[in-house]
Amino acid sequence: MTTGNPSYTNPKPCKHLADYKLNHGLSGYKSLQKHLKTAPHGKTSVGKPSTKTPRCISCDGFQGRLYFCLICSSVSCLDHNLLHTQSEVGHDVAVDIERAELYCCVCCDQVYDPDFDKAVMSKHIMGITGDKNGDESIGKRLVKRRRLGSGVVEELVDSKISKQLISMRDRRAKSCYPLGLRGLNNLGNTCFMNSVLQALLHAPPFRNYFLSGGHNHETCRKRSVDQLCLSCDIDVVFSAAFSGDRAPYSPAQFLYSWWQHSANLASYEQKDAHEFFISVLDGIHEKEVKSRNQNRDNGDCQCIAHGVFSGLLRSDVTCMTCGFTSTTFDPCVDISLDLDTSNFPPKNTANKSIKPDANSSMSTLLGCLDLFTRQEKLGSDSKLYCQNCQERQDSAKQMSIKRLPLVLCLHIKRFEHSPVTKMSRKIDRYLQFPLSLDMTPYLSSSVVRNRFGNRIFAFESGESDISAEFEIFAAVTHAGTLESGHYVNFLRLRNQWYKCDDAWINEVDEGMVRASQCYMMFYVQKSLYQKANEDWSHLPISPRRNMFGQ
Amino acid sequence: MGSHAQLSSQFFGDLLDSIIVDVASECHRIARLGLDRNLEEEEEELRLSAQARVRVADPSNSGEANSKYVVDIFGQTHPPVANEIFDCMNCGRSIMAGRFAPHLEKCMGKGRKARLKVTRSSTAVQNRYSQGSPVSTYSPYSNSTSTSRLSNGTSSGAGEEYSNGTFQEP
Repeated sequence: MTTGNPSYTNPKPCKHLADYKLNHGLSGYKSLQKHLKTAPHGKTSVGKPSTKTPRCISCDGFQGRLYFCLICSSVSCLDHNLLHTQSEVGHDVAVDIERAELYCCVCCDQVYDPDFDKAVMSKHIMGITGDKNGDESIGKRLVKRRRLGSGVVEELVDSKISKQLISMRDRRAKSCYPLGLRGLNNLGNTCFMNSVLQALLHAPPFRNYFLSGGHNHETCRKRSVDQLCLSCDIDVVFSAAFSGDRAPYSPAQFLYSWWQHSANLASYEQKDAHEFFISVLDGIHEKEVKSRNQNRDNGDCQCIAHGVFSGLLRSDVTCMTCGFTSTTFDPCVDISLDLDTSNFPPKNTANKSIKPDANSSMSTLLGCLDLFTRQEKLGSDSKLYCQNCQERQDSAKQMSIKRLPLVLCLHIKRFEHSPVTKMSRKIDRYLQFPLSLDMTPYLSSSVVRNRFGNRIFAFESGESDISAEFEIFAAVTHAGTLESGHYVNFLRLRNQWYKCDDAWINEVDEGMVRASQCYMMFYVQKSLYQKANEDWSHLPISPRRNMFGQ
Repeated sequence: MGSHAQLSSQFFGDLLDSIIVDVASECHRIARLGLDRNLEEEEEELRLSAQARVRVADPSNSGEANSKYVVDIFGQTHPPVANEIFDCMNCGRSIMAGRFAPHLEKCMGKGRKARLKVTRSSTAVQNRYSQGSPVSTYSPYSNSTSTSRLSNGTSSGAGEEYSNGTFQEP
């Protein structure tokens, strides 16, 4: 029934539920539908229009949980629902009025039936005028789903790599270290650039593309009159890094080119690593677009920057009065996260705090992601127009990830600027982050499903097959203050961590990385990470590379 | 206890019971449908991070942190300011690597004078990359603060001005 992530375990019905289904099929569910009350925030309950307050038929009580018999519609409280099954044979299955959950009175347990959940969800969908297909409305800026998917980029680079694989013993000294590991000289406060370059140099699909000759200087020069091409310059850096030479490299040409590109931007002097990262991807993309005369359609863009880093975010804005949800999709090349402060201890899917002890005040990456995908009530001063109600209403917004990229860049917003005091400050708060990251709970399918109480229902159709498991391979850290600080990159190659501090490369243990203050974290899909670790042992220096390298 | 206090106590108890059952019902569903996150792995990661922080904070373990200016893994040493020399691709002069960026800024006319002419706005940067920008795409409705960036140059002003005060006017 559901495709892609995540998969449900379809729970086996208890004997009583099975018998009920056999005898009554879906009729009980269908007649219950009229009584279902759906709330704009996604929850469902059972309301009985006839009586004001439902009362237990045995004790006339109205307190505590009440259960509505699916067969005869009588209401019983928890103490007396067993009585009901004894007096009426076969009346075993009831519905919890508060939550519209199935309850087996004999087993004394909550039970589940996909058909019931479907009936509940249908009510939600029917309740929203104009939606007949069961699909949530999609805003005008829907980006066409990429038919090729990222699989194409992967295939392209893998086949080229395997053709070039030659077992070649590296006779140079220091050959036991991973290829591509090379210090970068600081050219004068350029550690922001060096730390991001190191991450790009070792992002598996990005690296594979350039090393396998994905960007050809000749064709590039022929295709466009404009000599400026950031990809060509990156290619030069790749050649230098993977040349086998271990003396630190000065990315001067790259800096020059980047400044020429960013001269077009208002803030060419950005010394922020994240801004630099965005600007480089933009530069690569722009050149690609210009040379191929494409539309600026980032969702389907085939340039290497988007092919590797681009994902799709989903934004749902729900009217709190009628429940109508407006959905838009926007591509992104990274996700910027606010730090979750001690006000919001990390929650799992059941909204329960994990470990309410020493760790509860620590910020975690998962906590930040929870915060990012939490439904946020917009203030009454920012009411939005609801198409259904035809007026401005209080709304709630919720973000989720529709499609994950191959390489996921997570940026932590450590900079706080107050428009009131005009003061800026850096947030030094420690952030715990995992080395293995499962993004499943943040996918649109999980988030939307959770909004409706985790019903068994096909919420997202046709989600791509990209796995949600990621492994970290680079972490950019910042130490110091806003005004004077220093960026360092930690790289994870073949399960060994290296500290890349401008020209200095050192081996460090995992603990040091975990304890550091991260600013940007680069995760790659687990399968690509594993592949990169295997292949690397005999990846060679192709003689052709040295033509471009230094 | 007076009857009012008793009553409110009872209401509170009822509300609490209702909330507890809500949470139990939610968790029950999540567990039965196999939707719970792998809590063990998550807790293991938390534990490892906590351990690491303790170790790093211990002053007797400061060895690695100070090794920067000594020797790298390839057995090389480097001066604090990179001393490789090459030609500036803008003006052709020979420049030392560690001073290349400040030289290039002046050389390309990006010094303070040039900077003042250009209008600076962080939103312009974001809007330019509007299709992919993390800020503009999902904050049309949010109240969150704008761009979050960290400078690593010296700054003479607060706010969004990132003036680099490290080099002199010619």
